[in-house]
Amino acid sequence: MMSAPGRGSALLRSSQRVCSQCTRPAAPRIRTTPPIPRSLPSPAILPLTSRRYYAAEATAATPVSQPTSPPPVSTTTAPEPSPSPGSQYRIKSGLILTRPPLLTRDPTPFETAFYLYQKRLNERLTAPFRRAFYFKPDTATDLDFGIKLEERHGVPAKDIGRYNPRSRMGWNDEVLVGSTTSTREHMMDRLLRDAELRVSEDGEPVAADERVPVERPMPRRTEADDKGDVRRLDRALDRTLYLVVRRGGEGEGAAWEFPTGPVRTEEMLHETAARVLSESAGVNMNTWIVGRVPVAHHVVKPVLGGGGDASSVLQPGEKTFFLKGRIMAGQADLAGNKHGLTDFKWLTDEELQEVLSEDYYHSVRGMMELR
Amino acid sequence: MSFYLPSLRGHASRFLTRPATLTSTPFFSPPTTATTSTQCLFAPSTRAVAFSTTPSPLAPPNAKNKGTGKPGKPGAGGKLKPGSKPAKKKGKGKGKGGEEQIDPRFINMMRHLAVLSPKRIPPPLRMGRNRHLRHWTIHRAWLLFRRRERDARERNLQRQYQSMHAAMEELRLTSGPGTRDEGYLYRVATEKKGVYGLHGVPIEYARAQTETPARVAWNHDWKR
Repeated sequence: MMSAPGRGSALLRSSQRVCSQCTRPAAPRIRTTPPIPRSLPSPAILPLTSRRYYAAEATAATPVSQPTSPPPVSTTTAPEPSPSPGSQYRIKSGLILTRPPLLTRDPTPFETAFYLYQKRLNERLTAPFRRAFYFKPDTATDLDFGIKLEERHGVPAKDIGRYNPRSRMGWNDEVLVGSTTSTREHMMDRLLRDAELRVSEDGEPVAADERVPVERPMPRRTEADDKGDVRRLDRALDRTLYLVVRRGGEGEGAAWEFPTGPVRTEEMLHETAARVLSESAGVNMNTWIVGRVPVAHHVVKPVLGGGGDASSVLQPGEKTFFLKGRIMAGQADLAGNKHGLTDFKWLTDEELQEVLSEDYYHSVRGMMELR
Repeated sequence: MSFYLPSLRGHASRFLTRPATLTSTPFFSPPTTATTSTQCLFAPSTRAVAFSTTPSPLAPPNAKNKGTGKPGKPGAGGKLKPGSKPAKKKGKGKGKGGEEQIDPRFINMMRHLAVLSPKRIPPPLRMGRNRHLRHWTIHRAWLLFRRRERDARERNLQRQYQSMHAAMEELRLTSGPGTRDEGYLYRVATEKKGVYGLHGVPIEYARAQTETPARVAWNHDWKR
């Protein structure tokens, strides 16, 4: 529920839909370096009067001495006083490049059984098939259909097994436990056998050895699946694949992560992400970055000097904002990459969990798809 | 008001379990429509083709025979044996001496649609107690399955939204790279430049999910 900024609290108080807490003007908030909790943080509920969806007043809220005047444009003037080292973070932009699933998911056994059950009920409840409507009598296709109908024992439907709803045994529409009539393999076999032509164009039946078999569809498990080749993109076609790269050589120092790079001053997040991708994995990939909004973020706190003294920073903090990208064609190529990357993999989200560090995976797991 | 004796051939009980409206005469023209005087012997066609725009060889006889037809047997509405021609047509054919032959494709189609008449649609199912219990169980299981799928989908969307929201909140409180002030990156991220409009989404490369993959599942050799 959005409220336009600048709406006075008097107006809100009279509105019945706003609770009394929200109509009270904002209490002054003391801002320290916000600790990032492990669980997904819920933003502090500000009163509606001071709740804004942009950061126009953000500078007013920080207690540190940041100048309220706009920062100097020319480079000759002295730089503005830096805030305390503890609140300085390096900003990085990363790209989570996904290959969405190319196949539908496997149906559960219940689903396949249910669909067969429904098809048989449908056969009982709908008008009977009228051959004369679909096939002109004494044409080649009509003769072809006639042959196949006889082989199916008079059942026009190809995928329900042997069932006639208008016979004496029409009540017996349920298949027995263990029946293979509902399975995909059985159905596909029947459909492909039915697709063969049994009558030639001039009406002559085609002999058994002359029947041309129809091209079978490709299997759902590809060669890459069988070999377990994690660098190929035709593996796990019913799952989403994510690109991860390894920084540093093999061994203990190596870290698997998404392609990331620091954001330059003149850049925006999505520009950095595009640049980092082309620098890391090459340009021979047809990709699309989804908008400008980050889908996940990962924060590494700065490592401060000993003795509780916040002024010495051993290692600056990092805030990485990930954007989502989709790949449509091509392959990653790390030759000549500028980020010292040595290897890449396309992994599903379970495999990612094994390869990424725990807190890193925790930060990005919210953006993952169902499969 | 036209009446007809419901035929007791076949399963008489099917009329008892159906709602009353189906046993009345929905396909017969009520007195208010223009085709009152004509009785169409193809049951579902009366209202549908009363103001037909199909060319004359295919048009039903009613469109041309307004006002000339005598009230035929309303009870025969939709009742077509496969081999017989409707009485009205026969009379018309005889009378005109075969000048206007009805297109056999039209007859074929009307016979196909005649199955929609109340007498010909299959009766509702009747099941014994245990059979019905099995059906009820299957139905409940299916609803439960769909609910679980739906809930999982919604939870996933919620997770994705919250991840984005948390990232944007963090961004809003971040002082940008170098000299950028707090929230600069947030503000430029919320701009909608290039998001909508003609080239916002590359739908040329969109591909629906299929049951089996293409012969070449993925083009690894794509070059810019």
